[in-house]
Amino acid sequence: MCDVCGCGQPENLFKVSDDTAKKNVEIKKSLLSKNEQVARHNKEHWDRDGVLVINLISSPGSGKTTLLERTIELLKKELKIGVLEGDIETERDAERVRRKGAAAVQLTTGGACHLEAPLVHKGYHALTKQMGGAPDILFIENVGNLVCPSSFYLGEDVRVVLISVPEGEDKPAKYPKAFKTSQAFVITKTDLLPYFDFNVEKVKNEALSLNPQLKIFTVSAKSGEGLEEWINFLKEKLKEKRKALQKV
Amino acid sequence: MHETSIAMGLLNSLEELARKEGAKRVLKVKVKIGKLSGIVIDSFVFAFNALKEQSPRLKDAELIVEEVPITYRCKECGHRFQTESVFFPECPKCGSANLELIRGEELEVVNAELEV
Repeated sequence: MCDVCGCGQPENLFKVSDDTAKKNVEIKKSLLSKNEQVARHNKEHWDRDGVLVINLISSPGSGKTTLLERTIELLKKELKIGVLEGDIETERDAERVRRKGAAAVQLTTGGACHLEAPLVHKGYHALTKQMGGAPDILFIENVGNLVCPSSFYLGEDVRVVLISVPEGEDKPAKYPKAFKTSQAFVITKTDLLPYFDFNVEKVKNEALSLNPQLKIFTVSAKSGEGLEEWINFLKEKLKEKRKALQKV
Repeated sequence: MHETSIAMGLLNSLEELARKEGAKRVLKVKVKIGKLSGIVIDSFVFAFNALKEQSPRLKDAELIVEEVPITYRCKECGHRFQTESVFFPECPKCGSANLELIRGEELEVVNAELEV
């Protein structure tokens, strides 16, 4: 009943239209829920196919593609390798890794600074078509950028962050999210250590203070130093994944 | 720069919500962004306001951002504390580094106010 003037008329007779026209909706969903939904779908594909998926994140020019080239050379005799190459433009990186004997699909984002799960999903289907089946290890080389890719889960098993010696020791502190969300960290171009003020132990400790679980590798794709540990890590992860999948 | 894609995703989901609810306009939307989420709030708000203009249903939407501080719980002594640092801190009470992050990674759409 109307309690403004006590006239006894029904309350809703006096309702102002603006108030009745508003509606509150509870959402409580992640801002990235669509990407995460597709990423989970990607993971289902990869688990079903028994593929180990590695998401490589670094700044442009830190040596992701070169490390991949060497990795392919060292693994291709025993394992089928597939690569999804994320770049803003060009097919160049896909061509480089194809020359080393891996199947590759180039994902050009046309300006976007990171890969998102739907594009990776499309790329994976194109890749299995090209290969006539699934790879043993799928490498996703993200767009060169140490910031944005770390916010987008693609469904990967292992996220690897890389920095090269010339980039400088302060990268972990400046880009904490990439280090916090990764499981492995590769310091590349260690053949250049004599020419730069780059204290490997200091960088390792700083990275570990951000993420105590990080597995750290120091490699030079040029001299081959440290590659064996990196390759063994990949083989071990593949074995672990397949064992875990058998149990399910 | 990924703030733009996230803002676009939010606007698309609001458009969908407005359609589903038969709303004329979205008036407000509230989001929670943690200090460890990797989002620069200013860029996100800028992108949201620039992109919302494209839709008559969304162009008046006000974006309200709640920034969530980084909060840890000590697994040894149970003490909860906030920190500004992104590095793994130690518990200010007992010095343990055995900590659990309980808040700070949020990236959540909380609610929206629609005109129906």
